[in-house]
Amino acid sequence: MGSESEEKQCSCKHHKERSDEREGDGGQGISRRGFIASMGAGAAAIATAGRLSAEQKEEAIKSGELAKISLRVNGRTHRMLVEPRWSLLFVIRDRLGLTGIKEGCERGECGSCTVLINGEPRYACMTLAVEAEGMEITTLEGLMKGEELGPVQRAFVEEDAFQCGYCTPGQIMAVEGLLRHSPNPTIEEIRVGVGGNLCRCGAYRNIFRAAQRAAELKSGKGGKS
Amino acid sequence: MIPQFSYMKASSLDEAVKHAAGKGACIHAGGTDLLGCLRDGVFSADTLVSISRLAKLKGIQETADGGLRIGALTTIAEVAASPVMAKSFTALAQAASEVASPQLRNQGTIGGNLCQKPRCWYYRGEFHCVRKGGDTCYAAEGENQYHAIFGADGTCYYVHPSDTAPALISLGAVVVTQGKSGSKKIALEKFFVRPGDDPLKETVLEPGEIVTHILLPKPTPGLRSSYRKVRARRSWDFALAGVALAVGFTGKRVQSARVVLSGAAPTPWRLPEVEKAIVGTELDDATIEKISLLAVRGAEPLEKNAYKIPMFKGVIQEQIQALRGA
Amino acid sequence: MKQTEDKMYIDPELVVPETPHPGKPPKPWEKTHVIGKKIVRVDAYQRVSGAARYPSDMILPDMLYGAILRCPHPNAHIKKVDTSKAEKMPGVRTVISGNTPRMNPDFTYQGQGKTKVFDSHCRFEGDCVAAVAAETPYQAWDAVRAIEVEYETLPFVVDELKSLDAKAPKVHGTGNTVKEEKYERGDTAKGFREADKILEMEFRSECQLHTPLERHGCVARWDGDLLTLWESTQGAFIIQREMAQLLNMPMAKVRVIGHYMGGGFGSKLQVSKFTVIAAFLAKATGRPVKMFLTREETFLAVGNRPPAKMKLKAGVRKDGTLTALEFFGIGASGAYPAGGVQLLDWQIRDLYNCPNVRCAGTDVYINAGPARAFRAPGHPQASWALEQMMDALAQALAMDPVELRLKNVPAVSQARGGIPYTSTGLKECLREGAKAFGWDKRKKELARENGKSHIKTGIGMAGGLWFLGGGFGPATVIVKLYSDGSANLNMGAADLGTGFKTVAAMIVSEELGLRLDKIQIENADTGTTQFTMMSGGSKTTPVDGSAVRHAAAHVKQKLLAMAAKDLKLSVADLAIKGGTVVSKTDSSKQKKITEISEFKELSVIVGIGNKDPNPKGKAIEPFAAQFCEVKVNTKTGELEIVRFVASQDSGRIMNRYTYDNQVIGGITMGIGFAATEGRVLDGKQTGKLCNKSWHDYKLPTALDVPPDIESAPVELIDNEANVIGAKGLGEPVTIPTAAAIANAVYNAVGIRFTETPLSPLRICQLLAERSKKG
Repeated sequence: MGSESEEKQCSCKHHKERSDEREGDGGQGISRRGFIASMGAGAAAIATAGRLSAEQKEEAIKSGELAKISLRVNGRTHRMLVEPRWSLLFVIRDRLGLTGIKEGCERGECGSCTVLINGEPRYACMTLAVEAEGMEITTLEGLMKGEELGPVQRAFVEEDAFQCGYCTPGQIMAVEGLLRHSPNPTIEEIRVGVGGNLCRCGAYRNIFRAAQRAAELKSGKGGKS
Repeated sequence: MIPQFSYMKASSLDEAVKHAAGKGACIHAGGTDLLGCLRDGVFSADTLVSISRLAKLKGIQETADGGLRIGALTTIAEVAASPVMAKSFTALAQAASEVASPQLRNQGTIGGNLCQKPRCWYYRGEFHCVRKGGDTCYAAEGENQYHAIFGADGTCYYVHPSDTAPALISLGAVVVTQGKSGSKKIALEKFFVRPGDDPLKETVLEPGEIVTHILLPKPTPGLRSSYRKVRARRSWDFALAGVALAVGFTGKRVQSARVVLSGAAPTPWRLPEVEKAIVGTELDDATIEKISLLAVRGAEPLEKNAYKIPMFKGVIQEQIQALRGA
Repeated sequence: MKQTEDKMYIDPELVVPETPHPGKPPKPWEKTHVIGKKIVRVDAYQRVSGAARYPSDMILPDMLYGAILRCPHPNAHIKKVDTSKAEKMPGVRTVISGNTPRMNPDFTYQGQGKTKVFDSHCRFEGDCVAAVAAETPYQAWDAVRAIEVEYETLPFVVDELKSLDAKAPKVHGTGNTVKEEKYERGDTAKGFREADKILEMEFRSECQLHTPLERHGCVARWDGDLLTLWESTQGAFIIQREMAQLLNMPMAKVRVIGHYMGGGFGSKLQVSKFTVIAAFLAKATGRPVKMFLTREETFLAVGNRPPAKMKLKAGVRKDGTLTALEFFGIGASGAYPAGGVQLLDWQIRDLYNCPNVRCAGTDVYINAGPARAFRAPGHPQASWALEQMMDALAQALAMDPVELRLKNVPAVSQARGGIPYTSTGLKECLREGAKAFGWDKRKKELARENGKSHIKTGIGMAGGLWFLGGGFGPATVIVKLYSDGSANLNMGAADLGTGFKTVAAMIVSEELGLRLDKIQIENADTGTTQFTMMSGGSKTTPVDGSAVRHAAAHVKQKLLAMAAKDLKLSVADLAIKGGTVVSKTDSSKQKKITEISEFKELSVIVGIGNKDPNPKGKAIEPFAAQFCEVKVNTKTGELEIVRFVASQDSGRIMNRYTYDNQVIGGITMGIGFAATEGRVLDGKQTGKLCNKSWHDYKLPTALDVPPDIESAPVELIDNEANVIGAKGLGEPVTIPTAAAIANAVYNAVGIRFTETPLSPLRICQLLAERSKKG
C-alpha cells in the first residue's frame, strides 16, 4: 500500500490528551473552552517545532513528485509517499485501505467522508493529505475497540438510523464530533450538527434519535459506553 | 480530480508573501474554497502556498481599545463559538454560525471566507464567462434566479457568497494585510471590487498580499447587531437574501446604523440611504415600512430573480422589528 | 460431532407454522413470532463498522482507475478525437474511444433507441467520448483533460414544452415525439355535464435527479474469458444479462456482484455505458479497472425523473362524487426513449372512483440525459396534480378534503377494467391518518388562531396508490438448513437499504424456528446466488420474500419426509414443534430434528422456493394517506415543514423498524421533490446543466425535514396477494408527500403552488404578486 505503519507513542502532550479522550473519557476535565485553548496551544507547539524542518525543506514539493509524509490515523503513524494534490480521503481509502468512510462527492458537499481532525469533524475530501500532517485523524474504524462498536455506532444500530448505509460512516463521525463538544445536545443542536451530512435515503429522523441515544450511551445511561 | 500543482508550507508570513507573489501561486488557508475551484478547473494553480501553519494568524484577541483582533486563520467555527463574539459582536457570531456546514466551519477560515470566489454556477461550471476572461456574463440572460439585483454594473451578476463579510462591515471591520510592500489596513467595505471596476478581481488584494487579521472596533454602547439569511435550503446554503444590521440605540432612539445585504450584489451591499433614514427614529412600524421600500429602491432584477425584491423587503422588516424588540 | 442441546441453533420456544403438503403453498401465518416485530438489521454491524464492502470500496491488487471524457455540449458531432497526448502521460495504461477497434459496440437505453457506446453524435451533455485507465484516478483525469476533441456543435432543445414546436431542433432527425399514450373509459363529456362544479388547472413538476450517495460505478476484472463486475446495482442479474448481450458473451461468463450498494432509487436498475467501458479498459490493459463516476457525471448521465407538464380537469357533484377527470401530460424521455410519461396517468386512472376518465400523454425527446425509473415513476408527478385538484375541489364544495376523498374510494381497480383489489386500505389510511394527525381538531384550532403573525400555519393531506403492489417474478431462493440448525439463505436480491435481508432472515426464522443470528445470507451475486429480477418496483419483499417462505417450507417438507422414515409414520401425521418432529396423533412418537438419521447423514437439507404467480383477475396495490403541517413565513417565503404523519397500507408489516424507516425516507425524498430539488438547464444559451453539484442541486438536509415523522400504518394483511401477506412499500411512501405539502401551504397562505419546487423563491414571488393585485 506504499505506507509503513508503526505503533509509535507520541510524546506530544496534545496527542496524549486526544487519545485519552478517544478511550471514552471525553468529559475528563476538558471543557469546550479549555479544549480549544489546548488545541490552539498544541497547534502552535507543532508549528514551532516544525519550523526548523520546514525551513530545511523550504523548496516546494514539485508538481508530480511524491513527498514523504507521516500521517497519524486512528492512533497509528503511517509514513508514506503522496502527491501534493492527493486528498486525505484518497490516501485513507485507497492507500491505507480504510474504506469505512465513503466518497460521495469529492467536493465537500455530502459529508460521507467526514473524519475527525484533532477531534473536529471535517471533510477528508477537501483536505490535502500534506495538510493533515501532524494532526490526529480519526476515521470510522477509529471509533471501534477491536471488533466492538463505539457508542455512537451502537446507537445507530439500535435506532435503525440508516438505510443503504453509505452516508452512515460520515453521519456517525459528525455525531461523534458533536457529542465531544456537547455531550447533551438538544434536538436542534443535533440537526445542526448533522446538517453537513446528506442522507438521500432520508433516515434523518432516526439519525436524530440515534444521536440522542448515543449521548445516553456515552454518559453511561442505558448500558455501558 | 484536481490537476497537479507544486506545494509548499510557508513557515513564516514573509516566506508566504514571497512565494504567493510568484506566478501561478495560490494561497491555501483552510482550502475549502480553493480546492473546489481547482477541482472544477475554474482556475489553475502552479503552486499552492500553504499558510495553514502560521500560528500568529490564528485566534481571537481583545484589543487594548476594547475591540477585537481576529487572526485570518481563525476558523469560522471558532468565530461562531467565541463567547465575546456572541455577546458584543452578535451579527458576526450569527453570520459565522450560518456559514456552510459544521465540517466546513471547522476547516474554513475567516480570512478565506472574505476572499472566497463567486458561487455563480456559470463561473463554477464549464462556461468561459466574463469573470474568467470571456466576454459574456451567462447569468445576464440565463438562469439568474440566484443572481444580483444590485451592483452588477451590467458586467457580472454574481452575488458575493460571504455571510461574515456583511456582518463584519456592519460592525466596522478593517482588514490587515501583508504584502511585498509591507502591511496595510483596509476598511472591509473598500476591500471588495465591483465588476465595473474589474470583473476579474473580487478583492483589492495584490498578488502575494495576504489577509492577516481583521480588526473590529469596540462596539458603541447601546449597539445591537444581527445577521439573518434566507436560503433555499435550511442548512448548508448561501443567502438568497441576507441582512446584517448594526444599530446603536439610546433608549429607543437610533443613534447610528449600518445595514449591509448579502445575496444582493457582487459585493456585500451597504445601504447608506436606509441607514440615514433609520437614524433619529424609534423604528416605528411606518419607518420600517418606509425603509424596507427604500432598501430595494434602484434594484435591477433580472428575468428570474425579481422575488428578491419582496424577499429583501421582508427580511429587512422582520429583522429590524426583531432588533427593535431585542 | 455430537450435537448438544446448547449448540442447537433452533429456538425451542418458537412455534413454527404448519408444513404445507408438497405442491401446496403454505397457509397464511396466523400468529407470528418474529415477523412484524422491531428487529435490528442483520447487517447493521457491517454497515456501521465499515466492514460492509460496497463496490466503490473494492481495491483489487494491480487495479487501475478509469475515467470517461464526456461531451460538454447538448448536441454535437464529434469530428475528431486525438488521444495521442493523453496516451503518453504518466501512469496512463490505455486510452479508448470510438476509434478503438472492437471497443465500440451498439448500445441501447432499456432496449430502445440504438446508439454506440462512443457515438460520433452526442445528443446530450455527458454522453461518452473517450476513456482512460491509469494508475491513479488523478492521473486518469489528467489524461482525460489531455484528450483533444473537435466538435461540431448543433442546435439543441432542452425544454420539454418547446420540443414539440415545429421549429425545434430534432433530436433524432424526425419529430421529437417519442410516443403518445391514451386511455379512456366512460364518456367525459357526459361526466362534465353531470358535474355541479368543474375545475381546470395546469401543473408542472420539475426534473428530479436520483443522486444516491454511492456514485454509479463498478470494478471490472477479467479472468480469461470470465468477466467479473463488482457493481453498485439494484439488479445484478439485469446487469449480467445486458452486459452479455452488449459484449456478445455467454451470460454464464459474466459474473456480477453487488452485495452492498449505496442507494439507487431506480437509477441503478439497468446497465450503463460506464460498465461496458470499464470492461473494455480492463480487457485492453489486462488489469482490473475501477470505474466510479464523479458526482457531476451522475447528475448528467445516469437518469432522472422526467419533468412533467400536466393539465387536469375535474368535475364533481355537490355531494362530492367525481363525475369526470381529463388529464393531459407531457414528459421528456431525454435524448433517447426512456419512459418520459411512463405511468404518469396511473393515479388519475385508478385512485378515485370516477366513471368517466380520459388521459393522454406525450413523451418527447430533448437534448438531455435519458430518464430512468425513479421511485414510483410517474406517480409523484401526477399526485402533485390530482391531489391538489382534490384539495381545490374540496375547497370549492366547502367540504373537508378527507371527506371528499372518502366519498370517492373505489371498490375495484378501474384502470384494469374493474377487477377487484386483493385488499384496499385507502379508506382506512384516510381515517387512521386523520386520527393520528388530529386533523379535525387542528383544523378547528387553525381556523380560530391563524392570523396574527406573519408566519402562517397550514395543514394539508393527500392520498395515493402505487400501481404495482405484488411485484413480478421470476425469483428463486434457496434455503440450506444444516444439521446443527444453522442455515444459509441464498437469494439474488440486493438490499438497497430497505432492510430486505433482515426481512428475509426473519421469514426463515419464522418458518423454521431458527435464531436470526444463525442465518447467513448470500445475496446479489450472479455467480453464486439464485436468479431474481431487479430490486425495484417495490417488489422485493412481496416477490423475493414469498420465495424465501416457499424455500423454507420446502426444507420442512423434506425434513418431515426424512423424519417419517425414522419414525415409520406418514408425513401427514407429523408436525414440527420446538426443534422436534412430533406425531400429531401420538406425541410420544418424536424425533429431534438434529437426530434425524438421513439429515445427519446428508448434513444439509436444500429447500428451493420460487415466487408463485400473482393471483389472476385481481389487482394488488398499496395505498397511502399522508398529512402534514407547515409554517410559511409570508415576509421571506420560507417554508418549514413542522410535522408529518403517514398512514400506509402495504399489507403485512414485516419488520416495524425497517417499515417505519421506509416511510420516513419516502417522505424525506418527497420533501425534496416538493420543496428543494429541480434540475436547471441553461436552455436559452448553452443547453448545459447549471446545477451539477449538491451545492446547486439541493437535497433536503437534516434541517429541511421535520424533527419527527410519524408512521401510523394500517395493517391489512393481504393473504390473497402472496404467501407472506405483504405488498410493496418503498414507492407508495413517496407518492402523496409533495401534494400534501402544497395543500398545507395553500391552507396557510391561500395560494395554490402548481409548480415545483416550492422554494422560498417561488413562494416569495407569488405572495408578492398577490399583494400587488390586492
